[in-house]
Amino acid sequence: MKFVDEFRSPELAEVLAREIATLCEPGRHYKIMEVCGGHTHTIYRYGVQDHLPEDIELVHGPGCPVCVIPMGRVDDGIAIAERDGVILTCFGDMMRVPGGRGSFLEANARGADIRMVYSPLDALRIARENPDRQVVFYAIGFETTAPSTALTVLRAKAEGIDNFSVFCNHVTIIPAIKAILDSPDLRLDAFIGPGHVSTVIGCRPYEWISKDFGLPLVCAGFEPLDLLQSVYMIMKQFSEGRAEVENQYSRVVAYDGNPVALKVLADVFSLRPFFEWRGLGSIAHSALQLSPRYAHYDAELRYDLPGVRVADPKACQCGEVLKGVLKPWECKVFGTACTPETPIGTCMVSSEGACAAYYNFGQYAKQRLTLEVLQ
Amino acid sequence: MSSVEVGATCSAEPGCITCGDVAVALTVISSAGADAQCQDDEGRPELVATELVGAVVPGDRLLVHAGVAIERLRAFTRTGTGEQR
Repeated sequence: MKFVDEFRSPELAEVLAREIATLCEPGRHYKIMEVCGGHTHTIYRYGVQDHLPEDIELVHGPGCPVCVIPMGRVDDGIAIAERDGVILTCFGDMMRVPGGRGSFLEANARGADIRMVYSPLDALRIARENPDRQVVFYAIGFETTAPSTALTVLRAKAEGIDNFSVFCNHVTIIPAIKAILDSPDLRLDAFIGPGHVSTVIGCRPYEWISKDFGLPLVCAGFEPLDLLQSVYMIMKQFSEGRAEVENQYSRVVAYDGNPVALKVLADVFSLRPFFEWRGLGSIAHSALQLSPRYAHYDAELRYDLPGVRVADPKACQCGEVLKGVLKPWECKVFGTACTPETPIGTCMVSSEGACAAYYNFGQYAKQRLTLEVLQ
Repeated sequence: MSSVEVGATCSAEPGCITCGDVAVALTVISSAGADAQCQDDEGRPELVATELVGAVVPGDRLLVHAGVAIERLRAFTRTGTGEQR
């Protein structure tokens, strides 16, 4: 593939894999969490784990935005969409996330008008084209996506478009990592940091992970060789007794991020006191809401919402998967009652969710076979 | 904003841009106000908002997520951002 093959070379992967193997301390097991759903997808699509020694275990983190959206927030979106004259817009994966009252797709089947968009700016265009309708953008995503929502709000205000609002579910990555590190049931040795989130926030916000917890973190790109090189950089730190934040994705990520984007985020959003993350519970200061200056565009203020907390299905173990405590195939309903076609848990919805990535790329079959042989 | 071809539909398959933290490297073809007409390495066009990266000129390389440029790339930066997966 033009311009991409150089990041997917099997020969270079083998070289890196050999270097990584030489850095492993005999008898030591390394648990490295990739925070980002895009990394999880690459790992299973390209079999990155298969290039690593058995003593290096990649653990999947909570970095897929739809995977951490609580069911109650899905129901709130449906409640907005069911109001007369409302067009709800959202990103693609959100359409199939199950809430307590079904998914957005099912709401559409009942008569709601929920449309998939590529950009929040497309939602604003829909508002421009439908002045007699209220258009709401169901905003999800980490700091990579939040700037596009912020910019859209700024454009709506500049153009005086009043029939547009945002139902904000943007979350921030740092508090989630802290919640994982504070979790008593998980021991991690290092992190692979999210690449494009870091484009916005930079690498500096991760430094406490090295200073306070003594763990390496390497911000990584999304190609297979990016991930292998990141593991190599982490192992190199271990072998040299270092614990630092390093930037493997320097061809894209500036260490201090994008200051203009950060300024726009600080202008348009403020931190919520608390936000519920599926599987991780309520985490302080972990999500964004529209700041009072832009309250006019806040769908939570514009509409009366149920705001009810909905418990996850009992059989679903997404919480443990999101914290890296369970592998997807260890969930009781994985691949049986819960599949990408009929997801019970959010991790099975997005192809970047750990369960869907396992399911789509056959890892579960390999793991189950191993178990059967052992039994 | 009218996006054409590149991610013109946000599909759940093979991946959603926000869940995958997907961003694409695009080259500026022309600019008008806060928007720039860009294309990817395969020549596919996309209209991009550029407020977060400042003024752009033809030939500039941008990292684009959800129709918004979130960073400038060095001119020699090849794709390798995990796209086209």
